[in-house]
Amino acid sequence: MARAGTNLRTSYLESNEVLRRPYQKLLIALILAAALMLPFASSDYFMHLINLCFLACIGALGLMILTGFCGQISLGHAAFLAIGAFTTVILTVHVKMPFLVVVPAAAVSGAIVGFLVGLPSLRFRGVYLAISTLAMHYAIVFLCTTYQANFGASASAGITIADPVIGSLRLRGEHAWYYFLLVLVTLFTAGCVNLVRTRPGRAWMAIRDRDIAAEALGINLTRYKLAAFMLSAMLASVSGSLAAYYSNVVTVEGYTLDLAVIYVAMIIVGGMGSVLGGLLGAIFITLLPYAIDSLFEFLPRAWRFGSTVFGVQVGAVGVCIILFLLFEPKGLAEIWRRTETYFDRWPFRYRPLDTTRR
Amino acid sequence: MEFVATVIILTCTYALLAAGIVILYKAGRVVNFAHGEIAIVGGYVFYSSGLMTGSPWLAVVGAVAFSIVTGAFIYVAMMRRVVGEPFYVAILITVGIAIVLKAAIIVIWRAEQVTIDVGVAPAIRLAGGATLSYMDLASIVLTIAFFVALYLFFTFTRLGVQFRGTAENALLASQRGVNVNLVLSLAWIIAVAAATLSGVLYGGRAFLGSASVTIGLAGLTAALVGGLDSLRGAVVGAFIVALAQYLTVRLIDPVLSEALPFLILLVVMSVRPWGLFGTVEELDRV
Amino acid sequence: MTEPLLQVRQLEVVYNRVATAIQGVSLDVPEGEIVALVGTNGAGKTTTLRAISGFLPSEDVAITDGTITLRGERINGRIPHQLAKAGIILVPEREKVFATLSVQDNLAFAAREDGAITIDRIHGYFPRLRERSSQLAGYLSGGEKQTLAIGMALLCRPTLLLIDELSLGLAPIAIKELMGRLRQISRELRLTVLLVEQNARAALSIADHGYVMESGRIVFSGKADELLSHPDVREFYLGGAGQAENKSYRDIKQYRRKRRWWG
Repeated sequence: MARAGTNLRTSYLESNEVLRRPYQKLLIALILAAALMLPFASSDYFMHLINLCFLACIGALGLMILTGFCGQISLGHAAFLAIGAFTTVILTVHVKMPFLVVVPAAAVSGAIVGFLVGLPSLRFRGVYLAISTLAMHYAIVFLCTTYQANFGASASAGITIADPVIGSLRLRGEHAWYYFLLVLVTLFTAGCVNLVRTRPGRAWMAIRDRDIAAEALGINLTRYKLAAFMLSAMLASVSGSLAAYYSNVVTVEGYTLDLAVIYVAMIIVGGMGSVLGGLLGAIFITLLPYAIDSLFEFLPRAWRFGSTVFGVQVGAVGVCIILFLLFEPKGLAEIWRRTETYFDRWPFRYRPLDTTRR
Repeated sequence: MEFVATVIILTCTYALLAAGIVILYKAGRVVNFAHGEIAIVGGYVFYSSGLMTGSPWLAVVGAVAFSIVTGAFIYVAMMRRVVGEPFYVAILITVGIAIVLKAAIIVIWRAEQVTIDVGVAPAIRLAGGATLSYMDLASIVLTIAFFVALYLFFTFTRLGVQFRGTAENALLASQRGVNVNLVLSLAWIIAVAAATLSGVLYGGRAFLGSASVTIGLAGLTAALVGGLDSLRGAVVGAFIVALAQYLTVRLIDPVLSEALPFLILLVVMSVRPWGLFGTVEELDRV
Repeated sequence: MTEPLLQVRQLEVVYNRVATAIQGVSLDVPEGEIVALVGTNGAGKTTTLRAISGFLPSEDVAITDGTITLRGERINGRIPHQLAKAGIILVPEREKVFATLSVQDNLAFAAREDGAITIDRIHGYFPRLRERSSQLAGYLSGGEKQTLAIGMALLCRPTLLLIDELSLGLAPIAIKELMGRLRQISRELRLTVLLVEQNARAALSIADHGYVMESGRIVFSGKADELLSHPDVREFYLGGAGQAENKSYRDIKQYRRKRRWWG
């Protein structure tokens, strides 16, 4: 069957394809190959950074589904991460469950909490929903704080967890974690991409754009909104659980409102409404503080004293949020898309059949 | 008696914050998540201007200048550009502003905890053994003056009527000759000024530090409890939150008082989301 | 022939970059006259008014062609507040008053300090408003809201008054009264009015000149009484007056004729 050019599709099946142009398949293959080879050329420190990015990616995917695709503003993402971490703590310390049971269990507990946090979304939208999630965040963090306080004197600096063990293998060291997380992130990304381009994704996007109209079209708001919350919480919970194993320590102080805001920053910077955006945003925001740190190396010594670097790192996230919202609301993903489109159409400036003047 | 005094003064702090939030919501349908940070930075500016020049009057000038510049800047550079976008864009910008201000506290003032010292004169003794310092008295008087001024402004002045009209329908207001940009900038300036006043008062009674920004959340709760579009509600809501916090600290558990505003929020959201005096509206209107 | 107050030439407005709402619209509004713009739903009349008054609703609506000039000065694309200062005041179809303000406050909102037209004078034209001074505008009846809206518009000292769907939702007798009042005001204040109406008869009864719009274009124009007696206008917009006797086949065939102006 003749292809009607790279922009035009002739069947629904075609338009739903993930990789639409030949070079994209090549690109993905190259990226995966590079990803597999990367550890052989990297230091532990670099692997550590990548692992942090991977963990953030998993959490960001969750928030992207909830806020970017389904349009439910949530400031409670840190609470979901905390649930994952603390479920891990409870199951490993008190019940001594193995790794391969704990992580799915964390997903389940995440789903339950996601369901609960999602209930207000059936009644509220907009600001009031955001505030409900905020309230939920504090409630959950309070519970975790109480748990940690009652844990015992040793918990003041955080609760330690042993390294995860799969079968006879102990998951230890940056390189091992890298491969493990790479597989997980790839699987989750593929899963999300598929979810998003099929019915659930379309339902979510309809809800995001105008939920009254979506309901009129027969989309069950309850089911899809709660599903979005549950899925988001599950992914965040898994991320939190893995993060707990990765750093071997869990402390409730890490799960602040600022962390939730950082995840929101990830999806804004990445571009709400695209899986690629979630990944790009997660990587960008995770690496940002390190980049700033490196930047300061070039500045005169006098500037690096005290908390200035830290302050700038904190402020940079805020500045990114504002700048992206004002000037590039569709985020890094849009920048990628524009570049892609530019080369795709070159040497033409407009798409064929583009009749409106700009 | 001390109980009454403390609660009243806490109410004043929260009421000023809540008033600012209500004004911004009425004017532009924006919920300002940066209000606490603005208050504390305003307090710091007051402190620094006072410190640098040694004169309390110049501190006031500094604070006023800060209010005007910051309020106008936030509106003109940021909020004005996102009119008409989905509601979360404006909110997330305020979240971004909150983060930047927090960073400013760390970078500019090194997050040092400071107290605003207005020369503690002999305190006034009240019946029942309570004492009110001059700072406390100033808090109460200034807050009342602010609210009275606001009421008079909105009800009786021409600009106040234009304000209310713009808040309801900015396009119509613009077509009837009102410079909507000016009105909305003014709304932001007033809100920032209220927050700054609150920050200064708080800095005088307690302290200013990077942890103090949590008063913003208490103020937001107060505004929500009273109704996001009701100034009357702001005062009532502030009282409720202040009272609840005081009772929690005294009778239950001091640690809980930090999270208390949010428990109140949960209750309000479940029972009466639009607050006590808010208009019963569709809850997602931008 | 003096230059008309408002001149619109070849105006084109496009929604969301794909849907052309109006195209090639040209009209003249002579000073001191009442001009009616009539047509059915969706003809583009409201879009025309909005384009003239800067009241275009959102980012994605743009004037893509044509000029609008006020006394020879080009006013395309200015913001509503500037056009209001230049004297172009629009009374929109919906949301024409501030519902949460009292009637008195609504009028005070629009009143100018150097008012040539005072609130008292508005009370003179519309005595009901004086009675309802302290009532919230949201609680007024449709007709009263309409008079309040016109009152507010007049207080802004308009050079050109644009009114969108004055008669919508009003009883016939109220329409007649209001239209009559409008003509009286226009004559007294030497006010130029561009009136957009679906109720063609009511509009043409007070207008000096009329334009007929259809599918985004002006298809007919002429003096108001010419339009009132024109057979095609009567057939399509005025209910086809008094042809019950002539029911011959040839006359019925008339209904199958394509609209003459497309020919």
